[in-house]
Amino acid sequence: MLLGGLVPVLMPVAAAAEDGDEPVRFTAAIMNEVDSFNPFLGIEVESYEMWALTYDFLVDLAVDDLAVEPSLATEWETSEDGLTWTFTIRDDVTWSDGEPLTADDLAFTYGRVLGKGPERATWGSWLAGVEEVTAPDPTTLVLELKRPNAVLPLVPIPIVPEHVWSEVDGEEMKTFAAEPTGGQPVVGSGPFRLVEGTAGGSTYRFEANEDYWKGAPHVDELVFRVFKSEDPAVQALIKGEVDYVEGISALQVKSLEGQDGILARNAASPGFDEIAFNAGSIDLETGEPIGDPNPAVLDPDFRYALGFAVDRQRLVDTVYQGAGSAGSTIVPPFYEEYHWEPPAEELAYDPDRAAELLDEAGYTLGDDGRRTLPDGSPIGTLRLFARVDSATSTDVMTYFSEWLADLGIDSEVTTVESSKLTDIILEGTFDAFEWGWFVDADPTSMLSYMTCDQLGAWSDSWYCDEEYDALFEQQGAELDHETRVGQIHRMQEIVFRDAPYLLTVYNSTGQAVRSDRFACLQAQPSPDGLWLFQQGTHSYRSMRPADEAGDCDGATDATEASGGGGSDDGGIGTGVLVGGGVALVLLLAGGTLVALRRRGTAEDRE
Amino acid sequence: MSLPAAADPGVGAALEPPAATGRPRGYGRYALGKVAGSLASLGFVLVVNFFLFRVLPGDPARTLGRGRFTTDEQLDAFNETYGLDQPLPQQFLTFLGNTLTGDLGVSLRYRVPVSELIWDRLWPTLMLVGTATLFAALIGIWLGVHAAWRRGGPLDRISTSASLTVYSMPEWWLGLLLIAALSVGIGPLPGLFPTGGLRSVDADPSSLAGVLDTAWHLTLPVFTLTLAYLADYALVMRSSLLDEIGEDYLTTARAKGLRDKVVRNRHAVPNALLPTTTVVALNFGFVVAGAITVETVFSIPGLGLLATEALEVPDYWVLQGVFLVASAAVIVANLAANLLYGLLDPRVRT
Repeated sequence: MLLGGLVPVLMPVAAAAEDGDEPVRFTAAIMNEVDSFNPFLGIEVESYEMWALTYDFLVDLAVDDLAVEPSLATEWETSEDGLTWTFTIRDDVTWSDGEPLTADDLAFTYGRVLGKGPERATWGSWLAGVEEVTAPDPTTLVLELKRPNAVLPLVPIPIVPEHVWSEVDGEEMKTFAAEPTGGQPVVGSGPFRLVEGTAGGSTYRFEANEDYWKGAPHVDELVFRVFKSEDPAVQALIKGEVDYVEGISALQVKSLEGQDGILARNAASPGFDEIAFNAGSIDLETGEPIGDPNPAVLDPDFRYALGFAVDRQRLVDTVYQGAGSAGSTIVPPFYEEYHWEPPAEELAYDPDRAAELLDEAGYTLGDDGRRTLPDGSPIGTLRLFARVDSATSTDVMTYFSEWLADLGIDSEVTTVESSKLTDIILEGTFDAFEWGWFVDADPTSMLSYMTCDQLGAWSDSWYCDEEYDALFEQQGAELDHETRVGQIHRMQEIVFRDAPYLLTVYNSTGQAVRSDRFACLQAQPSPDGLWLFQQGTHSYRSMRPADEAGDCDGATDATEASGGGGSDDGGIGTGVLVGGGVALVLLLAGGTLVALRRRGTAEDRE
Repeated sequence: MSLPAAADPGVGAALEPPAATGRPRGYGRYALGKVAGSLASLGFVLVVNFFLFRVLPGDPARTLGRGRFTTDEQLDAFNETYGLDQPLPQQFLTFLGNTLTGDLGVSLRYRVPVSELIWDRLWPTLMLVGTATLFAALIGIWLGVHAAWRRGGPLDRISTSASLTVYSMPEWWLGLLLIAALSVGIGPLPGLFPTGGLRSVDADPSSLAGVLDTAWHLTLPVFTLTLAYLADYALVMRSSLLDEIGEDYLTTARAKGLRDKVVRNRHAVPNALLPTTTVVALNFGFVVAGAITVETVFSIPGLGLLATEALEVPDYWVLQGVFLVASAAVIVANLAANLLYGLLDPRVRT
């Protein structure tokens, strides 16, 4: 009651903010904090999103198909040997403090990454092979390479202003926050400016950059609010406290479907989950086997055969509640050009085919109904590991275990923490586990995890294949795009047939927006991709209030399917309603108390 | 519910020489013993924390860098930057030296000094858990007193069953129910409170409006926690007052012709308050540890949440810092309770 009494006093504060000529504010609920606003330190995807709003990049990725398109660099050329890249840099870009942005800022930023310290840890791999970066004049940037790098010109490193960051030395960089200080926004060149927010904080506020060189955004402010649990975030969307929710579960998406004025869906995202086998854990010094993988999982034929026993569509439908799609190879179809799709018959759920292939490979059924190794000894029990911090991992492995049992193979599922699983993987004391990867805009990192070089590092299946490694080297230096795509396709084919990974599901991200308030968000890639948390800031620049949508200036409107229209905004509403509600609560509480007292005294009298 | 024994940390007691005589010792010596004990506990916590968290599985560079650090070089650069490449004894010495000079290190995840991070997260936790503990204690004691005094009466029956019911509900579930009912609104009831967070975007935290805005945001979470904590105090108070009710001195007081209210407030309650004081003192010590589930449901950036999330990395420095502060709070609260006891009841000093 004490608390209830505060409400009428407080309500006017919030209600007042609703009146008048308010700036257009887009409020997004996110599920995780920004770990650093310093683009050389942060690691979380939320941080990447904030940097993209604040800074620009050498090149962008198109909203429709993720193709490389000009940004700060308007054009570029490569020397015959692929060792010299020359970029022409725009001359009409200024930093938010008025200084011009020149090629020197790019050279400075890349120079920091080529140096030592956290800059290198975060971004070093994107400048692989780069020896020197120079800016011979303000509109020219030159990269000199030791060996050709096929990933160029894609360098997703945010460009920071030299005149601010040159004062941050190596030691300071470790904790340099790059946050607004003394009421001054962070100096950047991007479409928005961070005016409020700290790493690990729970609210981040951006103001539009009216002079942005790609055109002023159509909203005045962006606010990100961190919610630590999903239910309240969805409630806040329904109530109208936020306009957008990122990263909700498939169940929540279902519950929001059909709500007036809200569009919710599972957007395709660039990640996958897989069942990974121990393809041969070894001691890196001696090359001797370590751990105790079952001989069966070391055999590619055995692993490939099990692929037919995995009912991927069933996993999508039951375990993932329909969010996502059946997985196939390690480069998701999100990156359509790079993705290689295996023949449909090799992806089919066909337990009979699995049994047939196992028989052919020598894993025949014994008298006890269990399969044996080719030498006739029992396979024993396969140790399958799932992750406790994933909602789907244990269910997937339980299904897998049942499918194995149907084939006559025993297994047991153990659920552990991800960090514990990392240790188990490095020790090689497992037969299979369930995990997943997020795949970069260039498939190089994903492809690298399957190379012999990554054994004991990021390789979690201990897979190692000479042909694959040779192709990895070739594609990394191949300057002819078509040829490179062909090599990348072949690499996926090799991994698919050797089957260190059985891909289960391509992930999706649950996203929901108040389509009665905002329109003109774009999907990357179109039409099933992400509304926000894209490569680049496409949606932030195209979004606008629903009543000003028009034709979105020709941009595709991925949110136009909305039933739209005029639902009550349900926000902190009229004072009458509020006051009435509070009065009601107080009356009820007071009444109960009085009644209790009365009865109390009545009983005393008896 | 015999909690008074818990007020003695045990560590402190073990360090004291066995009393050679049956004579009560002076208060100064008693207090000194307790302070020394508390310091020893703190030192113990400091050492244990370091090694406890190193035993956790996982590697910060690998957890944070999964899918980002694609080369060994990147992993090494990270470990070198944050001193994780040093041998463990070396790290321990650095840690001891730094802690003694007040430097709690740098968070591996947020890359800001741990002391700043803890300071930022301390206030939300204090406001949430501290206020709730205070309300729960005041209301709980009031309920307990009145329930015991009219044992079996309507208030007793209602408050005992209601507080037990709420006590057995998970806090987060209670929070979600309150959000659905009071924040989003049900039927004709409008959404009165925000769904989470500490303040509105426009509110200036230093102005009066800003303070009121924060209070408005904290209403539901504090209400949730107060309900959850209430039973603790109400039941302890009720049972200890019931113990007193049959005592002769109350009969004497009544025989003197004192009014019922005076008998209760002046005679019975003061004697029954001791166990409750212990519970309150101890629980205030735990305030700093936060309320993880309620912080999660209402998205309040408190210390509880900070520690839970640091475990995933594991963010050694944050974990050490938070545990140090939380243990220190409990030890200090315990010490305070002990010192208070020594004053209130000289028998404890023996």
